[in-house]
Amino acid sequence: DATTGSSSDCQPCPCPGGSSCAIVPKTKEVVCTSCPAGTTGKRCELCDDGYFGDPLGENGPARLCRLCQCSDNIDPNAVGNCNRLTGECLKCIYNTAGFYCDRCKDGFYGNPLAQNTEDKCKACSCNPYGTVNLQTNCNQVTGQCECLPHVTERDCSSCQPGFYNLQSRRGCERCNCHPLGSTN
Amino acid sequence: VKPDTIPLPPGTHLLIAQSGKIDHVPLDGNDMRKSDAKALLYVPDKVVIGVAYDCLEKMVYWTDISSPSISRASLGGGEPVSIIKTDLESPEGIALDHLGRTIFWTDSQLDRIEVAKLDGSQRRVLFDTDLVNPRAIVADPMRGNLYWTDWNREAPKIEASYMDGTNRRILVKEDLGLPNGLTFDTYSSLLCWVDAGTKRVECMDPNQLGRRKILEGIQYPFSITSYGKNLFYTDWRRDAVVTVDRTTSQETDNFQPHKRTRLYGITTALAQCPQGHNYCSVN
Repeated sequence: DATTGSSSDCQPCPCPGGSSCAIVPKTKEVVCTSCPAGTTGKRCELCDDGYFGDPLGENGPARLCRLCQCSDNIDPNAVGNCNRLTGECLKCIYNTAGFYCDRCKDGFYGNPLAQNTEDKCKACSCNPYGTVNLQTNCNQVTGQCECLPHVTERDCSSCQPGFYNLQSRRGCERCNCHPLGSTN
Repeated sequence: VKPDTIPLPPGTHLLIAQSGKIDHVPLDGNDMRKSDAKALLYVPDKVVIGVAYDCLEKMVYWTDISSPSISRASLGGGEPVSIIKTDLESPEGIALDHLGRTIFWTDSQLDRIEVAKLDGSQRRVLFDTDLVNPRAIVADPMRGNLYWTDWNREAPKIEASYMDGTNRRILVKEDLGLPNGLTFDTYSSLLCWVDAGTKRVECMDPNQLGRRKILEGIQYPFSITSYGKNLFYTDWRRDAVVTVDRTTSQETDNFQPHKRTRLYGITTALAQCPQGHNYCSVN
C-alpha cells in the first residue's frame, strides 16, 4: 500500500525472478500475475493445464513443468489431460488406461503403444457360453479369454475337436462317438 | 482465503478465462477497449474453462476442472462461492438462462448435460446419451432453446433442444471438425461457432438452417462470444482474443493478455438484460 507513507509500504513480490504481483482487494492476498511460461498459481507453484511438475519443489525435489506424458493416447483438443502435480493421465483414449495410458483398459487387449489406432486396444469380446464366470476381461497382450473345460479359441467361442455342447455354459462335453461308426 | 472479485465498472464487457483467473475487457461500441483490460477475479489454483454471466444479478459463473466444481461471484465484488462440487469430472461449457434462473453445463468425462438453479439446487441430468466430447453450450432464453457442440472426432455435431430437454435434434453434422466454441446472438438470432478442425468461423440461423462461412484459416479457436456485429473468439495458438466482424468477414482486432498462456472460455457480460420472458420464468 503506497498511500500509507512509510518506507515499508512497497514490498517485493514473492514471485519467481521478482516478477509482478497484485494484491486482491479486501482479502489483501498477494497473487503473482506474470508467472514464468508454463507455470501458474498464487506463487507460480503449479503447472498450466496440459503440463505437470512441481516447479517450486513444494512436494519434494523441484521438477520443471513438462507436457503430459500419456503415450500419445490423449487428445490434444481435450482439457485436463493429466494431473498437474503427479502427471497421472486422466483422459486416456483408444480404450487405454493406466498412469501413462500405457495399458489397455479392462475388457480390452492389444498393444496400447502401437502406432496405428486400429492396432491399439481391441475389445476382448469373450464368448459368454465358453468363458469362466462370464468374465469380460482377457489377457492384456494375447487377448486370450479364460475358457471353460474343453473350450478353445481366443474368445472361447468353440469346442475342442471331439467335444460339443458349448451352450451348456459348463464347458464342452466329449462326443463319445463310437470309433468304428464315425468318419473321424 | 479466496480472492474477491474486483468491482466492474458499468457497461458491456468481455469476460475471458485464462487458467487461474478471469479477465475483463470493456467494450466501446462493438470494439474492445484493450487499454482498460484488467483481471476480474483470481483463482490461482484452479483451471477455469467455461464462463457465463447473469445480467440480472451481475454475477459471473464458471466451471473449474482442477477440483471439478461450478462457482459464482458477484461482479460488484465478493467472495467466490462453489455452487456444485459433487458428481462432476470435467465440467467445461456453461450457459445461463437469466429468465428461468438456471445454469446448464456440459461434462466431457461423464458425457452429460445437466441443469440446476443458479444456487446449484434442483440439479437434474438433461442428457446422458449420444454424447462423446460435449463442450460448448449456449442458451436462447427468449425462444427457450439450448444449443451445444460435441467435438467427437468420429462424428462431431452441433445439437439443439428446448430448455426442458425435449425436442433434441442435430442441427449440424456435415463438414465439422472440432467445434469447440458456440455463441447465440439474441438480436440477430444467429448461432455462430468456431471449429479447431476445419479452422473456420461459421454462422447459421437455427430456424432457417442456412449456413455461412465467416472466416477460414484461423489457428486454434476454443471459445466464442458475440456482441453487435462482432464475434470474439479465444485462440490457443495465439493466446489471444480475436475480433471478427461477421458482416464483413474480416479480422479487425486482437487482444493478447500480459500473461502468455492458453485462453479458455469467453462470454459477453451485457450491461442490461435483453427484455423478455419464457415458460420457465413464469412457471
